[in-house]
Amino acid sequence: MNVRKIVTVVEEIRSEGGRPVSPPAKVAIVAAVIDNPWAGQGFVEDLGPGIDENASDLGALIAPLVIEALEEEPEAYGKAAIVGLDGEIEHGSALIHTLKFGDHFRKAANATTLLPAVEKRGPAGVLFDIPLKHITDATIRSHHQTVEVRIPDAPHPGEIVVALAAASQGRPQQRLAALSTEQ
Amino acid sequence: MVCCMQEIPWLRKLVTYRDEVVLEAGRTPAVPARRASVAAVISNPWLGTGPEQDLSEAVAEIAPTLARLLTDRLLDSLGGVDAVEAFGKAALIGSAGEIEHGGALIHTPYFGNLMREFLGGESIICFADTRADAGQPLVVPLWHKTHAATRSHYQTVDVRVSDAPRAGEIVVVAAASTGPRPHPRIGDRSTDPAITSLTLEGAPS
Repeated sequence: MNVRKIVTVVEEIRSEGGRPVSPPAKVAIVAAVIDNPWAGQGFVEDLGPGIDENASDLGALIAPLVIEALEEEPEAYGKAAIVGLDGEIEHGSALIHTLKFGDHFRKAANATTLLPAVEKRGPAGVLFDIPLKHITDATIRSHHQTVEVRIPDAPHPGEIVVALAAASQGRPQQRLAALSTEQ
Repeated sequence: MVCCMQEIPWLRKLVTYRDEVVLEAGRTPAVPARRASVAAVISNPWLGTGPEQDLSEAVAEIAPTLARLLTDRLLDSLGGVDAVEAFGKAALIGSAGEIEHGGALIHTPYFGNLMREFLGGESIICFADTRADAGQPLVVPLWHKTHAATRSHYQTVDVRVSDAPRAGEIVVVAAASTGPRPHPRIGDRSTDPAITSLTLEGAPS
């Protein structure tokens, strides 16, 4: 696995709707820019060997970094694969939609739910939104949120950006009734 | 370290960005550098005022807090004052403000001197500023913190906050790097030939 660049972004929201957010709502994102393992090979029918070779290593690389960047216990999480213009979205999905990748993050975050994801193809610097949900109960409405990310200079046409995001809490000033109140 | 619980009424959000180049042009840099920027989204304290407004009072109140807040996070992100080798600063002013408002916050000693002191620098700090819509990126230049003419350390970092600045906000940025560009090889003043238009006379153009 060829990693070109590792990017860390931490957002701290101190106020929302004109009111203080205390403690600040933190969201951390760590993205690795890697060579697309299937670049230049034409249509590859069996993505299994490339997945076996890369997905677990990627999860093991990024998961501890995002927990470290957040500096708090994650309560919500999500993931992303942004494929450079010469690749297929399927290539990005192959790397992130496997337990080999996600279990590193689940283990590090003491999480149990599926990781919500964004998969997208675009040029370097493309904007993408990572959806996040609660780490143990994906129906907890207060924790549905997204964070917008842009990596300047990535992905190049033959690259993939793979990212994980973690949030320290739900939305700032969240005040929707729980899902159960509608059932 | 500014305590995470400290409430600063004019501060909405802080965004820290860091990148680390592992491979460039297929090779590991001899001196791998980390670059980081920290952006603070604040309310423009001069909203609704005109060119006659004296900016100095609010600068003395706000800019030192910003210098401390931004450099604390930069140092946390990059590994301390000795790790920082290059620096730069920036302001993005929301559309209801003047560029002068951003300049007031980053170009006066209440910010610049303190940023230089906290990052252990001596050079003038290079900068960029713009009036921007929310989500507009700005390229922030960096140069060496004690020897500004050190060519290997001329580099930039992109800054962008997705939902800022709003019209009545200013984004104030401090940025730094722990080293040079990935593969610097364009010489320096000490190795340059003396080039003038005369020495180039007769050279094909």
